[in-house]
Amino acid sequence: MLDILPQLFFNSLITGSIYALTSAGLALTFALTRVLNFAHGHIMMSGAYIFFLFHVQLEHSALVAACEAALSMSLLGAVSLLTFIIPFLSASALLPFVTTIALGSILEAATSMVFGVNVRSFPTDSASTSIECAGVFITPVQLLIIASAAVIFLILGLVMHRAPVGRAIRAVSDNTAAAASLGIPDRRVLFGVFIVSVLLAGYAGILVGYETNIQPTMGGSYSIKSFAAMLLGGLGSIWGTVLGALILGFIENLSVGLDFGGYSLPAGYKDAFAFAIILLVLLVRPQGLLGTKARSA
Amino acid sequence: MSAVLEFLTSEYSIHLVILVGMYLILSQSLNLTFGLGQLFNLAHIASYAIGAYTTALLSTELEMPFFVCITASVALSALMALLLGGISLRLTTDYFAVGTLAFSSVITALLINWKSLTHGVLGIPGIPRPEIGRTDYYNNSAFLGLLYIFVVIVLWLSYIAQKGRFGRSLRATAEYEQAASTLGTNVGATRTIAFLISSACAGLAGSFFAYYLNYIDPSSFSLGEMIFVLTIVIIGRPGSFWGCIGGTVFLVLLPEPLRFLDLPSAYLGPLRQLLHSVILFAVVWWKRDSIFPKQRKV
Repeated sequence: MLDILPQLFFNSLITGSIYALTSAGLALTFALTRVLNFAHGHIMMSGAYIFFLFHVQLEHSALVAACEAALSMSLLGAVSLLTFIIPFLSASALLPFVTTIALGSILEAATSMVFGVNVRSFPTDSASTSIECAGVFITPVQLLIIASAAVIFLILGLVMHRAPVGRAIRAVSDNTAAAASLGIPDRRVLFGVFIVSVLLAGYAGILVGYETNIQPTMGGSYSIKSFAAMLLGGLGSIWGTVLGALILGFIENLSVGLDFGGYSLPAGYKDAFAFAIILLVLLVRPQGLLGTKARSA
Repeated sequence: MSAVLEFLTSEYSIHLVILVGMYLILSQSLNLTFGLGQLFNLAHIASYAIGAYTTALLSTELEMPFFVCITASVALSALMALLLGGISLRLTTDYFAVGTLAFSSVITALLINWKSLTHGVLGIPGIPRPEIGRTDYYNNSAFLGLLYIFVVIVLWLSYIAQKGRFGRSLRATAEYEQAASTLGTNVGATRTIAFLISSACAGLAGSFFAYYLNYIDPSSFSLGEMIFVLTIVIIGRPGSFWGCIGGTVFLVLLPEPLRFLDLPSAYLGPLRQLLHSVILFAVVWWKRDSIFPKQRKV
């Protein structure tokens, strides 16, 4: 049983990295606006399908397709923010949640109509041959997932804690009114952060397409899993959320990978764990692992 | 004239009226928690699913009679509300939404994976139509009559609950929690009761759903279904009794003409979803300042 532990560790790290890339953007947006963006997982799904369109259907090279996807995603992010989130910020806290539910549903329906509801995946001819390293099988794609997540979070950390723009973001998230009164352009900060969060989600979507497969209906469950990561780490805390995402990856893989005295859980229960965690956290520690105190919304 | 009469008594119209009836129960009960109480209850479809599966299992595996099935469905859904309410009702708005969302996802995962009980994605076939004493409800018009007895009871109860003292308390807890509690409303108890009634009614709707379709599977209890019922309550104006009824009739019947457009069936589902979500967004956009009364705090 112990010999599968290194493999389980890597699988958990891969899942965790994808969750971290997805949920970090959600946490950033939440920190700035207190909006739970339900469409976040659907935006991630759209990123994967836009890449699918350019790379697989129009046969552009991966790099060109990635740039085209990034441009389209920025546009999608801008339209989403301006139409579905910003007009509702001043109203009741429920409204942006409702409008992002509508946005997610629109994206899902539109994608199903354009690409069909079937499962799709990206061709991975050379990238899927696994390399064996100390008893662990790992593919180049999986290495890319882990490495790029590490690099992205390093850069994000440097920007957030060393660069002036990071200070502005943290100021707006601490107190929007005070930051605005000190001349920080809060709407511009929000705009920039939202685009970054959309791009991160889209990138995660593409990685999912390479690692497993994509489907128009995958958005909702990624949204909920991102909520789980965010709740686990503490609402609005980015590093808490990244930690929460990694923990989620580990719990999911270990729960179905290990066998408990000859009995192991069927793989389908993986998802149930993410959701049960949310309930558990709400019950035991509503402020999350790294959160300071529960905010009244 | 006779053509109109023929259409109204056709199997197709009876089917639509039955559909409207089930959604009337489902939406009016969500209107109690989400509309009046402003509790962002995303576990409503989970209650509906529990009701449907309870009836399906009891009537196929144990061949239990109608009243046993329906009572068990209502009771189990209410019990679920009690459990979930204990965890989540003390949370603030967005945490409550996420908590109930998580709960309904756990239920969906169980429906799909607990194969020995629920048969997973294959679903439960062969649910018999109800029989009460010697009367059977095998044909749709008889079933419609039975269903509407319960629809009327639920609507009547909702009307009393919404317009009476309880409704006023619930509305007060939503708009101004501290003031309501200062004036002697037990906020926790009021919310729990609303959640309980709402969930029990959803269980009832689920029971009829299982009886009507004779077959259920997890896909009927998806997030999309939750969004659909939420859309009904929102376009009818949350908390409005008649608005909710109008919203149900409108939204259930709206996509029906699409059937006659001769579209490939793969398009029909997504097109319906697109239509609902665009309407949801349009209504929220149009009414964004008045759709929810602003919550006040000390």
